Amino acid sequence: MLNVKHLSVRIGGGFNRPGKNLLTNINLHLGHGEKLAVLGANGAGKSTLLKCLCGELSDYQGDIILDHLSLKFWQGAERARQMAVMPQKVELAFPFRVDQVVALGRAPHGDENQSTALQRAAMQCADVWHLRQRSYSGLSGGEQQRVQLARVLAQIWLAERNEQGQELPRYLLLDECTSALDPAHQHSIMQRVGEFAGRGVAVLAVMHDISLAASWADRVLILRHGEVLACGGVELLADAQLLATAYALEAPLAQRYAQQNLGWMQA
Amino acid sequence: MPGAVIRLQGPRLALLQFAAVRQVLLFFAAAGLLMLLILLSLRTGPVELNNTQVLQSLWNAITFADIQGQSDWVVRELRLPRTLLAVLVGAGLAAAGAVTQGVFRNPLADPGLIGVASGAALAAVAVIVLKDSLLAFWVAIMGPLALPIAAFIGGLAVTLVIYRLGTRNGQTQVATLLLAGVAINVLTGALTGILTYMADDQALRSMTFWSMGSLAHGRWPEIAALSVCIILPLCFLPRFARLLNALLLGEAVATHLGYRVQQAKLWLITAAALMVGAGVAVAGMIGFIGLVVPHLLRLLIGPDHRALLPASVLLGASLLLIADMIARTWLSPADLPVGLVMAVIGGPVFLSLLLQQVKHSRG
Repeated sequence: MLNVKHLSVRIGGGFNRPGKNLLTNINLHLGHGEKLAVLGANGAGKSTLLKCLCGELSDYQGDIILDHLSLKFWQGAERARQMAVMPQKVELAFPFRVDQVVALGRAPHGDENQSTALQRAAMQCADVWHLRQRSYSGLSGGEQQRVQLARVLAQIWLAERNEQGQELPRYLLLDECTSALDPAHQHSIMQRVGEFAGRGVAVLAVMHDISLAASWADRVLILRHGEVLACGGVELLADAQLLATAYALEAPLAQRYAQQNLGWMQA
Repeated sequence: MPGAVIRLQGPRLALLQFAAVRQVLLFFAAAGLLMLLILLSLRTGPVELNNTQVLQSLWNAITFADIQGQSDWVVRELRLPRTLLAVLVGAGLAAAGAVTQGVFRNPLADPGLIGVASGAALAAVAVIVLKDSLLAFWVAIMGPLALPIAAFIGGLAVTLVIYRLGTRNGQTQVATLLLAGVAINVLTGALTGILTYMADDQALRSMTFWSMGSLAHGRWPEIAALSVCIILPLCFLPRFARLLNALLLGEAVATHLGYRVQQAKLWLITAAALMVGAGVAVAGMIGFIGLVVPHLLRLLIGPDHRALLPASVLLGASLLLIADMIARTWLSPADLPVGLVMAVIGGPVFLSLLLQQVKHSRG
């Protein structure tokens, strides 16, 4: 499992200006098969939290523990075999084909050419199998996002096993992975990701769309100004007061969102 | 519906295999072309030679036999060093180009941008102009290798400075790095200009030749030093091919895929600087190969570095060999600077590639 203990991130702080806390004392627990949505207004620290969790940002106080071992002691290659990260937007410098992009997901395992069946399954799961011969750069934003999803799914499609033959836990971190998708794909993709969680993968998704979060997540973590405002079951999203604080919403609007979220949860 | 899927599979699969076979064939074709060009290069020149003589001389050279007669001497002491020099420099420049374009995720990231060429030029010009005054001690110590070694050190030093300027907290910002490169290149250019202004006629002449690039001055000692500086990095590059592929998705994604990106970037830039610096040191400024060859190959075989790096080596060597043959024979007995020939070939080729790409993206 993934345990975050007293995580703080501070930037800046030159000799003539104060620093800024991007994250302050975050505590978080993510177990196997859990679907956690991280929510919050723009600049609340969602992406910074994700960057810390995936090893991109290592200049933090506190500790992040992945399977009983501090993240700082993980080898990059080993971590990549168990943890896949999907960024918000990936632009390619040179025109790879879609199937080549997906094959890159197998790079940590070194079996790009042997794992074609698995790559195909991942592409079908993200609904990009029919695009496999196309150039990635020529795709629309939403199609590119689905290709990236196929890549990260391929990366952790099968659980690694340790010497004793036990399956090692897998983690999937998503950064607003549905931001460019149409509603049909938003829901079908999140459903596929949910099924993935059903196979024991711990999924953490930074989300923008609160109703999508309400329809998908088990638990939510709501950040505000880099601090945890609330953490708990998805039913928190039906709390108008909480939404009003988290997003600085006016009361009637927050009320309407809460109503809507309740509808999504019951659906 | 499943039927439709299966019907599509056959031809698609065949297409995929065809692509793989095509890649292998292209590879053999490129290697064959290089061999042919080497042979042709050994034959070409004022003294006409036939294949048997050339092959006999090659065999003599490999077995370290004594030089037998004029034709043997021509091949082994004049043409073979020059041919090898062209192969090494061309291969190094093209591979360095592929690497820098991959690391900086930019098709225009010529090795010149990270300061190798301008640093080497500054050091070389300094040696040429100041060899009787300020740098007399250097020439006294190094003897005939004073210029190439100084150029090599200069190129590496300037690259290191630019890399340091572009790196904050262990993270390289490509934009900062390229801008720092521009600034430092202007600075070294100005210093080179000042030295040029101070130079006398003799120094000006040798400076001009050096800045236009020529393969005429390579002898066996230089080639031995050069081959270490180019072949060693080339042997290490395939290890980084996968990382370069991952890097095309961005540094963050490459980190997520488990690569140690910062460390690898330092290695790759050093390797590129080593290859270009060594090449520039011996052969002067030869542009366009580092830019054109990887670009052309990406159009032909795609951006997968596992194929792109070796293919760049083969095509870069071939291209410089062709340019050198033209340089030697076009206005024979005059020996044109190969850098000029390369620019004359490279400019139009690059333009036509560019126009073709624009047409493709519109159509």
